[in-house]
Amino acid sequence: MISFLFALSITAWGYYQATHRIGELEANDRIDDNDFELCNEDKVAEYYGMNTDYIGGKKAIKNRILSELQFLDFKESGLLTYRFVVNCKGEIGRFRLKATNKDLQKTEVNSKNILEIEKELRALKNWNPAINKSGYTYDSYYVLNFKIENSKIVDIF
Amino acid sequence: MKKIFKILKILLTVLFTSYSIFVILFLFFSDKEKRYDFASHLQGDYLSQSMFEILKLQNPQNDEIYFEQSVPYNKRGFYKEGFQLLNKAVELKPKMHLGYRGYMKLRFLRDFKGALKDFNRLDSLTPNFVDSPWGEDIDFLMGEAYFGLEKYDKAITHFGKSIENQGEGWVDIQAFVYTGLSEYKLGNFDEAKIQFEKALSQSKYTVEAHLGLAKIYLETGDLTKGKLHLDKAEKYFSYKRNDPYNEYLNEVYESDIVTLRSSGT
Repeated sequence: MISFLFALSITAWGYYQATHRIGELEANDRIDDNDFELCNEDKVAEYYGMNTDYIGGKKAIKNRILSELQFLDFKESGLLTYRFVVNCKGEIGRFRLKATNKDLQKTEVNSKNILEIEKELRALKNWNPAINKSGYTYDSYYVLNFKIENSKIVDIF
Repeated sequence: MKKIFKILKILLTVLFTSYSIFVILFLFFSDKEKRYDFASHLQGDYLSQSMFEILKLQNPQNDEIYFEQSVPYNKRGFYKEGFQLLNKAVELKPKMHLGYRGYMKLRFLRDFKGALKDFNRLDSLTPNFVDSPWGEDIDFLMGEAYFGLEKYDKAITHFGKSIENQGEGWVDIQAFVYTGLSEYKLGNFDEAKIQFEKALSQSKYTVEAHLGLAKIYLETGDLTKGKLHLDKAEKYFSYKRNDPYNEYLNEVYESDIVTLRSSGT
């Protein structure tokens, strides 16, 4: 019985370890849009290698929202790194933020600034979802950085 | 019947115990190289990270483990975690990892000063040797960092060094493009044109150089040449420089062609 339970535990641990990856974003009803859905929860690709992108690239994102965010002030220089999902239909959601200072240590950002940035992100509609050679589209993760210097957002990439 | 159950029980116990022992042997005691390759192959999976943790416990001074473990974190935007590991790799073997860390600071974080600090330190550790962080010439990368800092004179100096060290026929064509862009930013249009032309003499498909020339010709009133280079930029657009992970500082888009075309009509 003990050997069975031990083998079962190892198998369950191995299965969990082999089926989960760094950076998975699970739905959170408290903070996510209720109408945002993934096409396949079990198969979310990474942005690289699958050509997930905004039409016109990150430059288009920067051109569209950088000036809109200039009224925001930040306490510390560093990076705001958003990771989110571009679903197979080209819709975006599940925004998760990592804020780091210049030494790449975790830092806090006031909630008003976060809301304003996410409002601009949500307004971005021209996404190319991840696509394979056969033209089949997938859900995928995307990473977008906001660089903060001298209290302001100075770059988006 | 009771005996059969007893035999079955023993068999199953042996089977489950053997299975558990096999898994434990693999995780903790099999060949380190094989486990490292296994973890590298499963990049980003929790299993890969757990294997790296075990390997680090057993080989705390092995820089390669920290380096490899950092990769998926940085690719996926977890820079705090990724750079903690990368910093450890640099601490253990600076000559081996400073270049990569500088490259990551340049391309993934756009931390231009931090990147230059790493490149300069690497350069000082390897006198009389031209380093190639992550396969790219160190002077090219330093030029790119200075370009990011808008220190165009210094950018030109380093791209020039890269061209000199690698040779005109072997250097990354973008060294000419960046030099042209830097000269343009300094207002030296003639020198900028020479550099863009050099890029095109290496490859007529260099979209970035066509756009650089188009911009100068349109701004200086030579609409015919401006249009010619815009047409070529459009024709060869699929050859533009891009990277699956990050946007280059001089990356061009179709919208640039549209904008220039409308400015020249």
